[in-house]
This record gives sequence, C-alpha cells and structure tokens, in this order.
Amino acid sequence: MEISEETRIGVFICHCGGNISDTVDVNDVKEVVGSFKQVKVMDTFEYMCSNPGQEMIKKAISEYKLNRVIVASCSPRMHLDTFREAMKSAGINPYLLEMVNIREHCSWVHDDKKKATSKAKALLRGAVERARYLEPLTPNSLKVTKSVLVIGGGIAGIYSSLELADKGYQVYMVERTPSIGGRMAQLSKTFPTFDCSACILTPKMVSVSQHPKIKIFTNAEPIAVKGSPGNYQVNIRIKPRYVDLEKCTACGECAKKCPVRRPSSFEENLIQEKAIYIPFKQAIPNAYTIDKESCLFFTRGVCRICERFCKGDAVDFTQEEKIADLNVGAIIVSTGYNLMDPKLVGQYSFGLHPDIVTSLQFERLMLQGLHKLSTGEVPKKVAFILCVGSRSTATNGVGYCCKIGCMVAIKQALLLDKAVPGAEPWIFYTDVRAHGKGYEGFYAKAREHLTTFIRGRAAEVIPNGNTVIVKTEDTILGEQIEEPFDLVVLSPALIPNTGTKELAEMLGIDLGPDDFFLEVHHKLRGVETKREGIYITGCVQGPKDIRETTMESMATASKVATFLGKGRISVSPEVAFLISGRCNLCGICIDYCPTKAIKKGEKEVVIDSISCVGCGICVPLCPREAIDLKHCTESQLIAQIRGVSEEGKTSPKIIVFLEKMTAYGSADLGGQSRRSYPPEVRVVGVPSTGRLGIKHMLHAFAAGADGVIFIEGDDSLFRGDQLRERVIQLKKDLDKFGIEPLRLQSTTTTLPEYEKIMSLFDSFVERISKIGPLSQEKREELRKYLAGEQYATQCAA
Amino acid sequence: MQHNVPHEKDEPSEGMKLVASLTSKGDRSSFVKEVMKMLGGENILDCIQCGLCAGSCPTRFAMDYSPMQIIKMMHLGMREKVLSSSTIWVCSTCYTCYTRCPRAINLTTLMMSLRNLAIKENLVDKNGVKPKFHRSFFEIVNKYGRLHEPELFTRILKKSDLRSLFHNAALGWRLWRKGKLQIRAPKIEQSNDLFNILEKTSEEES
Repeated sequence: MEISEETRIGVFICHCGGNISDTVDVNDVKEVVGSFKQVKVMDTFEYMCSNPGQEMIKKAISEYKLNRVIVASCSPRMHLDTFREAMKSAGINPYLLEMVNIREHCSWVHDDKKKATSKAKALLRGAVERARYLEPLTPNSLKVTKSVLVIGGGIAGIYSSLELADKGYQVYMVERTPSIGGRMAQLSKTFPTFDCSACILTPKMVSVSQHPKIKIFTNAEPIAVKGSPGNYQVNIRIKPRYVDLEKCTACGECAKKCPVRRPSSFEENLIQEKAIYIPFKQAIPNAYTIDKESCLFFTRGVCRICERFCKGDAVDFTQEEKIADLNVGAIIVSTGYNLMDPKLVGQYSFGLHPDIVTSLQFERLMLQGLHKLSTGEVPKKVAFILCVGSRSTATNGVGYCCKIGCMVAIKQALLLDKAVPGAEPWIFYTDVRAHGKGYEGFYAKAREHLTTFIRGRAAEVIPNGNTVIVKTEDTILGEQIEEPFDLVVLSPALIPNTGTKELAEMLGIDLGPDDFFLEVHHKLRGVETKREGIYITGCVQGPKDIRETTMESMATASKVATFLGKGRISVSPEVAFLISGRCNLCGICIDYCPTKAIKKGEKEVVIDSISCVGCGICVPLCPREAIDLKHCTESQLIAQIRGVSEEGKTSPKIIVFLEKMTAYGSADLGGQSRRSYPPEVRVVGVPSTGRLGIKHMLHAFAAGADGVIFIEGDDSLFRGDQLRERVIQLKKDLDKFGIEPLRLQSTTTTLPEYEKIMSLFDSFVERISKIGPLSQEKREELRKYLAGEQYATQCAA
Repeated sequence: MQHNVPHEKDEPSEGMKLVASLTSKGDRSSFVKEVMKMLGGENILDCIQCGLCAGSCPTRFAMDYSPMQIIKMMHLGMREKVLSSSTIWVCSTCYTCYTRCPRAINLTTLMMSLRNLAIKENLVDKNGVKPKFHRSFFEIVNKYGRLHEPELFTRILKKSDLRSLFHNAALGWRLWRKGKLQIRAPKIEQSNDLFNILEKTSEEES
C-alpha cells in the first residue's frame, strides 16, 4: 500500500510519574522521534492517562490535524481503551492509535538508563513505521438469534434447558433415543443420599415436555451445523418413529400383541422387549416406537399386528425421515458418556458367564428384583470390581479415573446389604476416592455395614459353574486371595458417548487427549469451547457425578444467557481478509484454520469475518500471499519489524514476538515484579506467533536483528505441535539462507510463568552473544533478496 | 482363602530403617534412574501400586516379595533387597503381569534385567537353585548349540531333594515316551556361527 502523503503523526510520551522517566530519558527520546518522517508533533507529560494528558492529545489532534497518534506509556492491556476513547472523542478512528509499551517492557525491567533509552527509541521507531500503514476500522455488530440448541436430553441437557427456558429463551432439545432422561433414568438410587433416581428425574422430564419454550426432538440428531456465533443454522435429522406422537396414549396393547422379542437397550440387554416398545414407563414423550431393525413388517413385509390392535390408529408405517432446520444463537452439547466395553479387559471374563455384569446392569437388576441371571436365585455374595479399564495407560483402557466408580460400588454394596438378608458385598478397589460432600461419610457407612474392602486390583475373574471366582492379591496383607462369588459386578471406565468425535468435527471444536470435549480453560472457562456460542455441559466434558453435572448445567445456562442476552454481539474488525484475484483454492488455509472460519467458495476461499478470531495463522501459510490480517497487515507488521530492528546500535539485537494475550500479559507481569532482563531484547506484539513466516524473519535479520524469539500463550490456538512444526520449518528455511537456526527459539507460557520467559531472554542473549552478530554482508544479501521478492509479489499482483 | 507364608522375611523394623537411611543418602533416585535405563524398567514410575501383577502371578507363593512390592522397593531405592530377593529368580517369565498391567509396565522383561544386574553385582539369592538353573542352561547351550534336557536335569537334580526327583522322573518318562528326550547330545547346523554370536554378545554384556 502507498504511504498516504497526508499522514500526520503525533507522538506522546508519558513520564508515568517517574516510573518511566527515571529510567528512560524521555526528552532524548522525544528529540529522536521528532526526526522521524511525518511526525508533526511530539510531547511528553507527567501522566498521559490523566484527564489533562488526554486533553493534551485531543488538542494536538485538532491543532496539528493529526491522523495517527502514538502513545508511549504503559502496557496497552492497561490503557488501550482509555486512549481509544480519547481518539473517538477527538473525532478520529480509534484504530489509528498505536501504543508503545515503554514501562512494563522497558523502564521497569532495565537499570541501565542509556540502554533503556535506546530500546525505547527502537520501540517507538517501530510504532511510527507501523502507524504510517494503519487503517481506520469499525467493529462489526451482529444481531443474535435468541434461541438455543441443546444436543442430548440427559440430566445435563434437561437442567440447562429448563434454566434457559425459564429465562425466556427458546430451547430446542435434540435427543438421539426415543425418550429423554438419559443415563440417570436407568439408575436405581443415587449416592450419597439414596434419593430414588427416577423420583427426582421424572418431574424434571415432565417440566421439560410441558414448558412452552422448549421443543423436544426425539429420535433425532444434528447432521450439519453452519453459520457463526449468535447465528447458527442447524439441520436436524428426525428418524421416523412409525407411531403418531399425538395419537399414541401409551396403552401398550400393541406391545402385548407384537410377536418380535429383542433385548432392551434401556434394560442394558438384560431383559427382552418387543419390536414396538417404550423404553421405560415414564418415558417422555410417552409414546411407543417401532424398532425398524427387528420389526417383521420392515424386515419381511408381513405382520402389521400392532397397527390392527391400536385403538387410536397411532401406528403409521408410512412415516418418513424428516429434516428440521433450526436457527439458533448458541449450542449446548450435553451428549454424556458411555461405558467402556468390559470385554476389552479380557481377564474379567465379561460375556463368558451370565453372573458377570456391569455396574449399570446391576442398577437395572436391582430395579427388576435382584436375581442371578444364571439360576434366578438371589445373590448373597457379590464382588464389586473397580477400575475396569480406568487409570490405565495400556491400549485396552483409558488414562483417567472414572470418578464415580467407588461411590457407585459403595452405594450398590449398601443397597445389597439392605435388600438381601445376610448379604456379603466385597469391594475390590485400587484406591477409594471419596472426594465429594458427604462421600467420606458414605464410605464409612459401608465399612460400618461390614462391607469387605480388598485393596488390590482384581487379577482374574474365573467362571466356575454357578459361582464366579475372583482372584487377586490383597496388597495390604501381601497375600493372594481366591474367593467364589454369586455375582460379580464390573465397574467399567466412562468414555465419551458414541458419536462424540463426529459431533466435535461437525461443530468444529476440539477434543482433549482423553477424547472428551475440551473446555477453553480448566478452571476459569470450564463450559466454553474454543468456538464462541458453543458450550458443553455434563459428562461430555469428562466423567462426573449427578450433582456436579447439574451444577455445571446451570453454569452453562448462565453463560449462554449472558452470551445471548446482549442481543447483539460485537465482532472485532481485526480479522483475516482475502486479497481477491490471488487465491487458487489450494485449501491449505481451510485445513489449518482453528475456528473453521475459512470455507471453500466458487473461485476462491471465503473468510467468515464473524467466526475468524484474527489469529493470523493462515496468512504466512498461503503460498500465493492471498490472505492478510486487518490491523496486523503485512505492510504494518513488516514496517514495525524493520523499525524495531533497525534503530540503535546495541548488539546483539533480539526481537521477541509475543502473542498479544497470554504471552504479552505474562511479560507485563514480569515487568510489574521488576524482573530485569537484558535491554537487547525488543518486543513486538502479534495476534499469535502463527502470524509470522519466513519473510518476517528475513526482514528482521536484514534490518539488524541477531536473534528472534517466539512466545506463545499456553492457551492459544497456535501452541503445541503447530508452533513446533512452524518453528522447525522456519529454522530449516533460515538455514537455507545461511542464518544459523540457533538464532530462532520458541516457547509457550502461561500468565504467571513470566520467570520462564525472562530466563529464556537471559540465556538467549547469552547464546546470541556467543554466536556473534549477523554479518553485514549477510544482511545486505537478505536486503537484496527481499527487494527482489517484493518486486516479484508486485508483479504477481 | 489360600494363604502363603513368605519364607524368611526380614523384620519390618529393619526395612523401615533401610528406607530411611537410603532416602537420606539420595540413593533413591539414583536406583530409579538406573532401573529406568534397563530393558523393561522404562516406565516403572507409572506404577500405581494396584497389585494386579501380584494377584496374577502364578509363582507368587514362592516369592519373598510380590512383584508389586519389588516395584515399590525400587521406587524407594532399596537396591540390595531387590537384587537379592528370590522374586526375580522365581519369576517364570509367563508375561501375565505384563499382559494385564494397566500401566503397561513390562515387569517380566525387567525381572530378567534385574537378574543380570544381580549376577553382575554378585547379589544372587545364595541359597536358591535358580541362578544355578540359568547358568546350567546357558552352559549347555554354549556347549551344544541347543538345550540337552537330560544334562540339564542331572545338573539341577544334584541340588534338589528326593521328592522333586520323583516328580521330575515321572515327567522325564512322559517326555521319553514321546521321543522328546534324547540321550545323545544334540547337534545343530552351523553351530560355530551360533557360538560366535554367543561369544560376542557376552563380550558386549561384560
């Protein structure tokens, strides 16, 4: 872009009451800045952020007809908004302001006045160069659709839905099975209070079905999600039920007559149900469903007995699959968990004997009337084996704790003790984890009831006629044990529900290493995902019990209400944009975009400025330089890099690129604690270090840099493998240009870890001093190369 | 309940003393590091002491310490006790513990590595026959290029009691009838190549 001839820059340097001026010679800086091109006015003031300071800027703007303002003071994290407001009231676009941090990144971290002053000059030079290319920008504002899609109708989805519907938002609940209720509907009683699970759940299910603001889709799944935060378009596939919801009264005549029997999935395959079925009596919607897989009409074209016997004419074999299109502002994912297949842990013989069951099957057995599946007798001696597949790094298990297994086993042992006279529950545990309120007391209660606790992971379960033998080591006694049992209950690991991965892909959000959905921050943003407007709740985020789930669901509802409640969302204008005419649809940017903001268009890619978070990862990846980033354009960034690298004669010169949120904040924190580091280190803030490519490295080295550091936030979109791969590639590229790869270094940091990055500054400066400065010939060579390159790009354009 | 009486366990108080003294000397981490460099010992710090290995072990009854305890003792730096335990020699290398271990610790291979170290340090269980068995096995292979069962039996039986002699005689008879037991010393092709390999590997070991 051409530099506008009318560019008029004003530079204002703050003393910060001595915080800056004690270490940086502000008057010296002022003089040097005055010699920079297009700087029409420069001034210093005791407190630039104070009202008189702001007035001074405003006055200068009108007096000198300034169209670019640079404020050299504290961190922009502190006062960017203050000065932007001042710009607005002076009638200038706030994006024409550039701030230079000469406090946290300069005066507070250096002692040598001369060197600190020289560094301040360099930082200001970069800002002035960059300011020439600044453009006015306006934030987008978008109207939000005030409705929510809740995926999954278990207790998590139910709680979030009720909370949001009560606040007045329209809720669409999508449930894959014929009834809402989820796992909780299958449970007998809940720990540690022995509340009957159905008794506390079903009233909530009824509330959901009767709420005027909630619409339930059962037998339904989302198949496509489009749009952007605040305005998502979702397609829901509704499978036919073959029974008319309006007409069915759930009288059950059809099921009495249906000749087909098949295992009931609600009953965990322990008992049979008919091909026309209702999962459980209190199901919502309270209507029957035909199972297409086993119904004789669908498999062989005969029968239709149910249709004949239905008094209300509710059976309808002509129903077809429907697609519903929904417009929602936000999406809550609450798809819950599944149990790991205990067959994976071969030594427990699951499936080889009817009296080896899962904990969930035991729940159903208790409700059906406790009996042995082999003989029908009441089991007395029952073994509860914990951690089946949990806390494992082997291939047939998962690495995390299921969190509920211990309490479930203790609850089941106590229920068994109550239900069966002379019962003998044994619990084989690895470690008992009784972490919640009232849980330790619950554990104590089980011991009082003489539940036998054996500390040792069960080694083997051996079917033996009517009994099942459990072999293990009691690790406290140091002895091997072999005991026969009437029934063995396995407590399998909790895993994400079937289809979680596909759903994550559809929504464009991340799964963690445990395959559960990943929240933005473990503690502070626990229900948000990396895509704005998409939230998670319940076991889809990780194993948890009912109490934790309902609490989290209410938190999620609150977050969604805050997001939708504003009515409009303001979207930052600092987003990627396409330079038309260059894109050839190679698709690299589409693959790498962390928020799926780039889509394939007809002739070139289309960038959705609402979904884009402005990380800039796509910019250096584009082989045709067809993408650029607003407020951090190639020309702005290169000008700043050149300015910062060129100014001054210190050696070595180290340019540090800080990701603007966490890494920059971390360096600010280091400044606040006055952790000093070598003044050779000069800082450039970038949206993310993913914004940087080889071109920027070459410009830095050509202009005078001797080493470059990338520091990325640990919570950023460009961390881990991506950062590593990029830096490895850059090192290889640098090597090709004859620059030692050791001159580039990268790391990630969290906000409080400033000590880590500061000590990296120390050691890196030491390293570069040893390697020595880059030779003038090399710099000249790079300059020539870059000039040629620029010419080539211009030609291409 | 099947009980087993571990033979000749040390007094617990001595064990406690040993732990305390070793920990203070910092031997704790050095032994862990040493073990982590051995085959099979790479991830011993992953152990969560669940006891699945001990419960699964078919020769647990004859061990002075359970496999789980051996790992714990390694964590605590109890070098001598680990290397002079009968556990490492009693292990029948059936690999059940490794197959079932939820933390994927290759305890079986580690037992073999510990045997090598124990021999090197001359810390073998001096009363046991196990090192004798292993030595005889290797000597016979070194002699003929493969195992010669009758010679192994005669070498081992010298050390065993009468009851096991009868037990083994019955087994020997069964093997004999199936033609698995050859009185004549076996021969293999290119035995010299094998001897060269054995020589080289034992050189590398030492």
